[in-house]
Amino acid sequence: MGPAPPASGPPKIIEAVAGFFIPPACREEVLGDLRERFENPRQYSREVLCTVPLVILSRIRRTSAPGVLLLEAFALYLSFAATAIATGFSRFLVEENGYVRLTLPVLMALLALVLVDAYSRAERRPLFGAIAAFGAILIQAKRQSTNLELAFPSFRMVLIASLAGMLLVTGLRLLFAPDNNRTTGA
Amino acid sequence: MHKSDSVGQFEQLVLTAILQLHENAYGVTIHAKVEELAHPKSVSLGAVYVTFDRLEDKGLISSRLSDPTPERGGRSKRFYRLEALGERALQESALTARRVWEAVAETWGKELGEWGPRRPHPVRPK
Repeated sequence: MGPAPPASGPPKIIEAVAGFFIPPACREEVLGDLRERFENPRQYSREVLCTVPLVILSRIRRTSAPGVLLLEAFALYLSFAATAIATGFSRFLVEENGYVRLTLPVLMALLALVLVDAYSRAERRPLFGAIAAFGAILIQAKRQSTNLELAFPSFRMVLIASLAGMLLVTGLRLLFAPDNNRTTGA
Repeated sequence: MHKSDSVGQFEQLVLTAILQLHENAYGVTIHAKVEELAHPKSVSLGAVYVTFDRLEDKGLISSRLSDPTPERGGRSKRFYRLEALGERALQESALTARRVWEAVAETWGKELGEWGPRRPHPVRPK
């Protein structure tokens, strides 16, 4: 039995993991370039580790508008504060950690929006963004419910505030939709 | 979209590489050419991708996807080309570099003539 033939390409598992993390808009060429430069699994892994984070950050920079994110954060904050007042839970806003309670779900929602922008096509962003941010808020509110200092006074209030916030955020995203083909992932 | 004619040093290297590679300017070849231009510094592939995005946002380059090729596991190449704005920006950078070179040559005189591309920086005469 002769020696095993040299591997003709990168390990499938590493390529699959890299492909999972690389945003779809640039996945094709980045994976192709990495494969073309393949010498051995170690070199390939090192190159993936050095390249993929920069590609993700660059994609996030391209697809996220700081001004719009700020408006979205404000819209979410506003919807939580307004819902708290409308549902009779306004007292918790002036309590200790009142605004920290609001900040954490808002930050999670913004993170979800940034990731959706980086990983999905432009036409799907308003819908996917709303779903992801809504989910992120509920998950964060659930996590906070186990902490007495950070828990929201009512889950119903969180639900209404999230829905109101999502409506505002979706409106903002439709209003400030990007127009560049490459940045939209087309 | 932000448009600007001013480009940084690394952006100049990427633009020069695209200019030199003509129709064959894609990630791997551009990275190799940039490494050659930046010698002895090493350049990561990720830094080149980040610069592509920035230059594309500035409207200095444009790109298109090719057909998939078997040697890349059936994946496409993204070819880049200079746009008119990119050519102008590169031209301005080259002119600035020439003016810098001439000013330095005037100050350091013939010492600069011995200053090869791989030699250490000459000591400025007192």
